[in-house]
Amino acid sequence: MTPVPGPHLTPEDLDAWLAGVLAPAAQEHLAGCPTCRDRAETEREVVSLLAGLPLISPSVGFADRVMARVAVPQPLTARTLEVLRRRVFATRRSLATAASLLVVVAGSMAGSIVWTLGHQDTLAALGQWLTAQAGQAAWLGLRGIASNFIEQPWFAGFKALAASPGRLGFASALALVAYLSGVLALRRLLALPTQRVAHAGA
Amino acid sequence: MADTPEWVRLSDQEVVLQARAGREAAYRELIRRYERPIFALLFRMVRDRELAEDLAQETFIKALNAIESYRPEFKFSSWIFKIANNAAIDHLRRRELDTLSLDGSPHAATPEAMQATALQIGARQESPLDAVEAKELGGAIEAAIGRLRPEYRSCILLRHVEGRAYEEIAEILDLPLGTVKTYIHRARNELRQSLAHLREA
Repeated sequence: MTPVPGPHLTPEDLDAWLAGVLAPAAQEHLAGCPTCRDRAETEREVVSLLAGLPLISPSVGFADRVMARVAVPQPLTARTLEVLRRRVFATRRSLATAASLLVVVAGSMAGSIVWTLGHQDTLAALGQWLTAQAGQAAWLGLRGIASNFIEQPWFAGFKALAASPGRLGFASALALVAYLSGVLALRRLLALPTQRVAHAGA
Repeated sequence: MADTPEWVRLSDQEVVLQARAGREAAYRELIRRYERPIFALLFRMVRDRELAEDLAQETFIKALNAIESYRPEFKFSSWIFKIANNAAIDHLRRRELDTLSLDGSPHAATPEAMQATALQIGARQESPLDAVEAKELGGAIEAAIGRLRPEYRSCILLRHVEGRAYEEIAEILDLPLGTVKTYIHRARNELRQSLAHLREA
């Protein structure tokens, strides 16, 4: 009788065999060992029986029975409307107040629509006047900023710098470096100390 | 996202987010995805259809009402299987307390007395229904599963019926990975022995 190479298969080996990843040495043993082969085959039979167990379902209407006892959270808008509805219908007084408010708001809106429809020329003239005023104000503001800028003591130096492209480029690069250093310094300064948060478990 | 998302394309986590936003359809989708595996697990754990249905309902109601506390970094399947398994184990423990301890009376003074008072739920007398079931191999394996210890039963069902990974089973059952592997090997051994006579026949 030929001796069987290696030890008998362990449960881990059987798992590996079922998954089709058994090591070659164990495979060699399995090929020559009737005990292990029989055990592995039976194991495979058990596993395939388990995998082939029929799928069973709960009775019809299971989902409805579950949903009848589940409190689905309402979306924010629905919740707000629900709270509003409850408050409005709480007492006769609150209902009367809400109705009066509704009449006032709806009345003003209707009134404004009617007035607008009847005074379209006036509205167009008013629109033109407002546009002209806004343009004038913007121009005055711009002129104010420009004259303020020109009157600054450093304006002459700035003008000289702007006249030479080389110097302007150098100054811009310097300003950029200063800006980036400032941002980095601020980031370091404002960074929060790192904290490890303990895992609270499932 | 569109008004009616194509649910099948969404992951469990995405469906949970929709549920948290108050969409009833998302709740129904979660039930649709898990009602069969959860019910099958519970049915094979307690071997009583009506009871399994009650426990499945309890599982879903508990999980869906606590959907806000679900943490998306965990698999939803692990979470709901854990709730279902706990419900089944709690029920089996209660049933055990109503009868006798599996390990015998805690008041027994000697190992013999312990043995004499022990009640092996797994080794219970086969009912006529079990006997009929055992006539066929499929029925025999169902009956053999029913005779396993509850913790072996959970492990073997999750592994070989539900196809869950060892790591996920360890997470569901709150057991070390090594213990899960041992339980599965032992359960397979017991099933093999239970089915040996049929194989020989």
